[in-house]
Parts: sequence; C-alpha cells; structure tokens
Amino acid sequence: MRAEYLIKRVFYSVLVFFITVGITFAVLRQIPRSYPGLDKSVIAQYFVYIYNVLQGDWGYSQGVPVLGLIWEKLYWSLIILVPAISLSLLIGILVGAHFGWKRGSKMDASVLNVMMFTRAIPPYWWAIMFILIFSFHLDLFPLGGYMSISALDRGISYSDILYHSALPIITLTVYSIPGTYYLMRNSMLLTVGEDYILTARAKGLSEKYVLFKHVLKNAMLPMVTMIPLECAYLIAGNIFIEIIFSWPGIGLLTFDAIAAKDFSLLQGIVLIDALLIIIANFSADLFYSHIDPRIKVGGGNV
Amino acid sequence: MSVLEIIDLKTWFQTQDGLVKAVNSVNLRIEKNERVGLVGETGCGKTVLSFSIIRLLQPTTMIEGKILYKSKDILKLSEREMQKIRGKEIAMILQNPTTALNPVLKVGDQIAEAIWLHQGLKKKEAKEKAVEMLEAVKIPLAEKRANEYPHQFSGGMKERALIAIGLACCTSLIIADEPTRGLDVTTKAQIIKLMKDMTKQRSMLFITHDLEVAAEICDNIAMMYAGELVEYAKTDDVFKNPLHPYTQGIFNSLPNRGLKPIKGMSPSLIDLPSGCRFYQRCDYAREICKNRHPEMVEMENGHFVRCLLYD
Ligand SMILES: Nc1ncnc2c1ncn2[C@@H]1O[C@H](COP(=O)(O)OP(=O)(O)OP(=O)(O)O)[C@@H](O)[C@H]1O
Ligand SMILES: [Mg+2]
Repeated sequence: MRAEYLIKRVFYSVLVFFITVGITFAVLRQIPRSYPGLDKSVIAQYFVYIYNVLQGDWGYSQGVPVLGLIWEKLYWSLIILVPAISLSLLIGILVGAHFGWKRGSKMDASVLNVMMFTRAIPPYWWAIMFILIFSFHLDLFPLGGYMSISALDRGISYSDILYHSALPIITLTVYSIPGTYYLMRNSMLLTVGEDYILTARAKGLSEKYVLFKHVLKNAMLPMVTMIPLECAYLIAGNIFIEIIFSWPGIGLLTFDAIAAKDFSLLQGIVLIDALLIIIANFSADLFYSHIDPRIKVGGGNV
Repeated sequence: MSVLEIIDLKTWFQTQDGLVKAVNSVNLRIEKNERVGLVGETGCGKTVLSFSIIRLLQPTTMIEGKILYKSKDILKLSEREMQKIRGKEIAMILQNPTTALNPVLKVGDQIAEAIWLHQGLKKKEAKEKAVEMLEAVKIPLAEKRANEYPHQFSGGMKERALIAIGLACCTSLIIADEPTRGLDVTTKAQIIKLMKDMTKQRSMLFITHDLEVAAEICDNIAMMYAGELVEYAKTDDVFKNPLHPYTQGIFNSLPNRGLKPIKGMSPSLIDLPSGCRFYQRCDYAREICKNRHPEMVEMENGHFVRCLLYD
C-alpha cells in the first residue's frame, strides 16, 4: 500500500542520514583537534554529536555558529542552484524527448555529438570561457561577485543580484543539460520500442497522441528517480562555479573551509549537502509513487 | 470481393548482419467472415507479415508487393489514411499480453481511447462502452476492473483486455497474434471460445504455433516456413491430407501423434538456400530439391502446396 511505501521511504531516509553523519563523524575524528566530549567513549561521542546536530548545535567556526553560517550561504547557493536545476531539467528533458522521438535524423546525430562534447568538459572551463566571452569581451555580465560596488550606496537590489547570478546560472545549466538530455533521449528510445506503443498505434491513434499519452509518461518515469542524482552532480559542480565567480555560497564556503582546515565547518557542509540530497531523493520517491501505478497500489500480480 | 488480398508480398529488413528476408512472395486471400490460421515455427515471419498488413514496421523496412484491403492497396495509403483504417477496419492483437498493455494507463482507458477515437463518442460514453467490452470478453467485475492497471490483471485477463481493445471498434478484419500462447489449458480453452464467439461477424487472421488451436477456430490454414507459405487449404483438408512434408512433420510432432519433432533447424532468413527451404530437414528430399525452388501449385480444389514431390 501507499502508506507502507511512504513509511519505508521515511525510514530509509532517516537511516541514510544517520549513516552519513556517522561516516563524516568517523572520518573527521581521525584528524586531531578538540571537540566536545573528547573524554568520553567513541560511541558516546557519536551520540553527543548527533544530539547536538539535532539540537541545531553544529559546532563553531572561528567563534561563529556553523549552522548559522551555512544557512546564510545556503541561501546564496540556492539562488544559483534552483534556477540551474530547473532550467537544465526543463531544457534537457525537452531536447532529449524531442530527439528521442525524432531519432536517427541528421539533427539528432549533431545534437548528440554537441552534448557529448559539452559533457566531457569540466565546469570550471565553461566558467572561464563564459567569463572571457560574455564578461570580458562582450561586457554583458560582471566578472564575478554578487553585487555591484554601487550597491554599497544604493542598497542591494534583486535586479543587481540577477545580473550577477546570470552567468553562474548559465554556466551550471550548460554543464548539466547533457546529462538530463542523454538520459531522457535514451529513455525515449527504450519506450518507443515497447510493445504497448505498437498496441497504441494499432488502435489508429495519431502520432502526436501516442507521443503525449503513451510515450512521454512512461519515458519520464526513470527521469524522476534520476533527478536527485542530478542535484548531487550540480552541488558538486557548483563548488567550482562559485569559486570562479566569487559567489558567496556553500561552494565558496567549502573552498574556504578546506583552505583554513576548518573541520567543524567542513563537517557541517557535508551534513547539509547530505541533507539536501536526502530531501531530493525523498521528494523524487514521493513523486514517483504518484505517477507510477505499480507502486501506488502494490500487491497484485506483476 | 475479398476483405484482404495479399499479392506477392516481400518484407525485408536491412540489418548489420545482412538482409533479413522475413516475408517472401506471400500470396494470401481472406474472404468476408472467413478465419484463416497462419501456422509456423518461431521466427518464420508470422508477426512481420501481420505488421506489414497493418503497416507498423519501421520506415526503413523494405516492403514490396500489394496488400489489397477491400480492393484498395493499403501499401499506397498515407500514414493519415492508414490511421483511419487501424483499429477501425483492421485491428491487431499483439503477441505478448504482458508487454502489450501500457503499464501506466488504466485498462478501461486503454480500451476507451480506441472507441473515443473511432466512434466519436464523448470520453464518458467511451468509458462506459469500454466497460461493456470488458464484460463481453468475460472479465468479472468489469466496472471495477476498468479502473485498474495492467499489473493488477492475471495473464489470461490481460489477454482478454487486449482482445477487448482489438474488438472494441473493429468491424472488418482482426489479426490475432498467438492469443493462446503461454496460457494454461483451461484459460486457453476459454480464450479459444471467446475468439470464436466474438469474431462471428468478422474476418480474422489467426496466428499460432499450434495446429490444433488453429483447427478449432479457423476455416482455412496457411502453413508458413522460412518466410514463405508452403501449404494452404481448408482446415479439414490439412488435417485429413497434409501434403507438404513440413506440415506432415508438424503433425507428427503433436503429442497425440507420436511427439516426433522435425529434425534440424529452419534456415537463416539472411542466408536462404536457393532450392527448397525445407530441403535439409525433409525426409523426402531428392537431388533436384537442393537447387530448384518449388512454386506453389494447386493440387486439389483449393489445396495448395509448395513442394517438388507434387511437381
Ligand atoms: N525489425 C526487424 N529487423 C530485423 N529483423 C527482424 C525485425 N523484425 C523481425 N525480424 C526478424 O524476422 C524474422 C521473423 O520474425 P517474426 O517475429 O515475424 O517471427 P514469428 O513467426 O512471429 O515468430 P514467433 O512465433 O516467435 O512470434 C525473425 O528472424 C526476426 O528476427
Ligand atoms: Mg510472432
């Protein structure tokens, strides 16, 4: 049943959370430094840590509470991540669906090549290229940062942030479109070859109807499970983007934490990344159970 | 006027391994309200032949010959015109019920969309008719079942649902591809009865491995071997007097007639022999059979065979 499935999912999410916390705890504990409860046993320390985390006490970084610091930076990261994820999913799925449907055309082959090329290039290369072309030569966007100097007098404005965030968003989107596109195209190719598509055509349904009613819904199923992976991929890629664009988000914070060997902060960052991905996974599961009837009802003979 | 007349049909696929000659110079006629059984081993081209008729092969497929549906060559129709024929004039019941139903759509909706499309009914009326169709194919609690998904159906019920889709709007010709395969004895008998009852006012091309199933349903039987027809006759004649050594071999392999399988394997459709295609497996093979490809000849009234024994 549906409720049972959900309880299972919640249980797994919590489990994954504790395991992640455990691993970060174990790894970072290998590094000699002082932290609360050092005099107690390892297990006790782990539980103290968990207890503190749940209480919202994520430790201190140079006297500042880690959670507060992360929270503030997360906001900036999301300004880039949310549009980049939405845009790359939207574009990747549309382009992938289109060329999966029109497979084998000349255009399909060229797009596939371009996408594979794009995918092979690391995100920082795109970042540097885009800065060179759009900021340096064309002067369309700022070189980096998150607001203009004039904002010091006039106060921070949305349009100014948008202006500064555009290039990082574009870079991250370009970097992650190929993955989505490729999966969607593949999923389309598999679905189009299914027997039930032939049954649909044998009814005399138009190609358009077959596409929208029969192919797309099935082809989207694997995409839903893949969205959390895409998020993880983007969060990782975003570190480079933020460093190069000096964007004050989690990515830049990660870089600073590593440079300063600030392990409490690093631990907090790993934790927040894990949480984001767990939440993404859980939402995907929820959504999946809505669109795939085989999960919604359960039981029955498969 | 015949409902369907296939003239010298060839359906070939270009593949990396070579040209797959799946259907070769097939001639077949189906009259109004006539039920023709197409019988042959796996891979002999039965499904390809039926997809050629309803034109659901990939566009790169090479198709030659004529397929006259009520005197109109459907190979010449545009895709648009073909869509008006599919499901309405000619319907196809696909081979494998576990994969032939869309897993994310309700069974009732999968039947209703055909009705809605061809009969111009409102969605709600179409859905009501879909429930009636499910009742007609003897699915209990049809109203409830219409709102369920394929994975909630048993194998036999999926087959029934597929038949319901095929018969929902189709008035003229049904192509049923192995609707009894993989079913237990009881379910098989029920499906056979259903197919017989439901197609009384329609023509049917009934595909099967199983001569005995064909005998129960069909008026005429066409034996297919390695992409071509090798024998065609009234069902009684095929049973009383099978002419082609292949047909005889199939009979001898039946459980109640000795269970003696035909030795060897059918030739690759990529590399067909120039002589008789059954040469290597034939007990009556002579030197001449090796290089001469036999033509279809009429032996008795309406009994055709492709074998040099009768030349
Ligand atoms: N799209 C295709 N491309 C290349 N070869 C194909 C294609 N479709 C079918 N074939 C080949 O054509 C031959 C005939 O296949 P077909 O499915 O018609 O056999 P069948 O008589 O229906 O067998 P079965 O009883 O197992 O269903 C097979 O060798 C198959 O591999
Ligand atoms: Mg077949």
